[in-house]
Amino acid sequence: MRITQNMMARMFTGVLRRQTLAMIGQQERIATQKRINRPSDDPAGAGRVLSGRGVLAGIEKYASGIQQGKSRLEFNEETLKLIGDLVRQARRTAEEKSAGGVSAAERALAATTVREIADQVLQLANARFNGEYVFGGDRRDVAPFVRDDEGNVTYRGESGAFFIPLPGGARVAVDADGRNYFQNEAAGGVNLFDELRDLIGGLENPDLEEGTAQIQATLDPLERAEVQLRNKRAEAAPQAYRLQTTEEHLTRWRAAVEAAIGRDEDADVAQAIVELKNLEVAYESTLAAASRILQPSLVDFLR
Amino acid sequence: MTHLFGVLSTGTSALLTQQRAINVTGNNIANVNTPGYSRQRIVLETATPVGTAAGLMSFGVVSRGIERFYDRFLGVQIQAEASRSGRWEAEQAALERTEAQLDENGGWGIAAALSGFFGSWQDLVLRPGGEVERTVAVAAAERLAETVRSRYAELERMRRDLDRDLESAVEQVNRLALQVSELNGRIARAELGGDTANDYRDRREQVLKELAGLIDIQTSEAADGQVSVSTSGGRPLVESGNTWTLRVAPGDDGHARIFWPDLDGALADITASVGGGRLGGLLAVRDGRLVAYQERIDEIARGLLTEANAVHAAGFGLEGTTGTDLFAGSGAADLRLNPEVAENPGRLAASATAAGVPGNADNALRMLSLRETPILRGGTATFEEAAQGLVSLVGFDVQQARAQAEHTSDMLGFLENHRESVSGVSLDEEMVNLIRYQAAYQAAAKLVSLADEMLDSLMTMVR
Repeated sequence: MRITQNMMARMFTGVLRRQTLAMIGQQERIATQKRINRPSDDPAGAGRVLSGRGVLAGIEKYASGIQQGKSRLEFNEETLKLIGDLVRQARRTAEEKSAGGVSAAERALAATTVREIADQVLQLANARFNGEYVFGGDRRDVAPFVRDDEGNVTYRGESGAFFIPLPGGARVAVDADGRNYFQNEAAGGVNLFDELRDLIGGLENPDLEEGTAQIQATLDPLERAEVQLRNKRAEAAPQAYRLQTTEEHLTRWRAAVEAAIGRDEDADVAQAIVELKNLEVAYESTLAAASRILQPSLVDFLR
Repeated sequence: MTHLFGVLSTGTSALLTQQRAINVTGNNIANVNTPGYSRQRIVLETATPVGTAAGLMSFGVVSRGIERFYDRFLGVQIQAEASRSGRWEAEQAALERTEAQLDENGGWGIAAALSGFFGSWQDLVLRPGGEVERTVAVAAAERLAETVRSRYAELERMRRDLDRDLESAVEQVNRLALQVSELNGRIARAELGGDTANDYRDRREQVLKELAGLIDIQTSEAADGQVSVSTSGGRPLVESGNTWTLRVAPGDDGHARIFWPDLDGALADITASVGGGRLGGLLAVRDGRLVAYQERIDEIARGLLTEANAVHAAGFGLEGTTGTDLFAGSGAADLRLNPEVAENPGRLAASATAAGVPGNADNALRMLSLRETPILRGGTATFEEAAQGLVSLVGFDVQQARAQAEHTSDMLGFLENHRESVSGVSLDEEMVNLIRYQAAYQAAAKLVSLADEMLDSLMTMVR
């Protein structure tokens, strides 16, 4: 095969072009610290990285939802505990004042205390979290419990729950229907507001005998109201546990996804630098060879 | 005939012929870097022998012409490879531009917009009545529609750009076809006398290679040296001195199409049959790849219009509105947020019942579950997976085009090296030839001066 100067020149330019191209690629990898700088660098990997990023964004949202859910559960717990304490206090008052030999004046004093308690319970039942009523079901924008002049409390809310979305389409539903907490006679529950109203009525009854009977009639329901609240509080425990475990799962999941993205996307810088060094050596020796081989021809030796 | 003047005439023929040989060598050296040049050689022959007393004898040298080193078969192979190489190079360049446009790395792609959209509904589940959450959800949906629309429009713009590339490539095809027909004429005229039109043939070879890089062609050479060129579907472009001028005109979809005029001047649409060369590559991207990408984006848009709208219309807004579509439009080209919702974020239907407003989040949950449902690509991909799939697809296409472009250009390089090995000028060789011819020239001059001296001696003898 004949070899001409042009063939050598073409060979060298081809090799040099390829080497500079490879060097630019390595330099980009080192500069961005990324192995995938555009989809064509690794189409399948780029797809995985993208889907990993989508998963991460989802995880962040779930995690922040769970944070909010946990605060909400804590808030519920605190509120219900306070109400429970108040109910116990009211029942103790009822117990003390239902005994014989309590004067009308003492009962009147106790009535003010219970009135105070009833006000507080109502206030707590209308508690707001993040600007939304907690016990109004789906009606989060109006106070769910209102009391008329006779002391009758009516529910203006709806049924409904507070949802915390979890991965995989699951969710935790925190009951937000105030009736299930404080009323719900229909399902055998106790109407706390009615009992407090009756207790006050009994304490204020000028007929002490009749009053005693009225007060005693509230003792048992008030205890059941307390149990009712405790049961609702107990409902929250597995929910809190579930949120907690999901959160831990999300943390591990996030780490796994980040690691997977890194494996696909991150450049091994040390290796990239070594490869760049190799390319440099190859490039320089090509140039050296080119300068030795391309330069001379027979012309140089004919004088 | 073995007289002294015979020596003189032998010397003269040698001088003239060696000089001509030096001319040819000089021409080779001068064209060492001319693309497509084939080295030439003078064909030497002894002069016709004459009968003398000593027997048949030849006096001097003659040149029987100048021949060119050329492998005809290689020329055809190079044309075919130039067609393939031109096609893939055009495809690679166009796809790399597309890849940059559809890049999701910056977080501004469709996949990121989808994840932002569903994320905003996740917030709505927690606070379906929240003013902030609603505003954010509207903004996220708007961004999603905007991203889908703009990506689609960018692909359309890309196709228009390719229309322009196509037009200029067709102009070049016409220009080159004209050159081929002109060279055909010159070659036929020059070779009528029995010579070979070496330089014209080299030029025509070069033009044909360039033409093949633009469009797939078949060539055949007639006995008179004229080449006829036909393109895809066997339609002639050049036949001896005639050319057919290709036209570009917009088709039904507004994109440029290529027409071939037949003898009656009627135009035949040959767009679909062009398969090679730069034109083939541009068409493959414009009518194949880009349309497929657009179709993928359109599928996402249609999915949003049917599925997301169906979910949304079933729910209730803050003011009890229901039956409201979330997105409006007919596809990716005009996808936008329903203006009713855009004006009033309260119309976002997060609640599943009228009574559930504002706290019910069942419809928001339903919207959220769309995220995980494989709806697209024949029920195999979620929205986000479809968007990610598009990015991977573009990446694969670029990778393939790059590999093909690399491979075909390697093949072309290999063939051209082969051609160079046959036809290329080697300076070393030419220098050696130069020395040979120079030495021969010097010796011939010596011969003439020797004859002169001999004549001189003869004259003195007579005096």
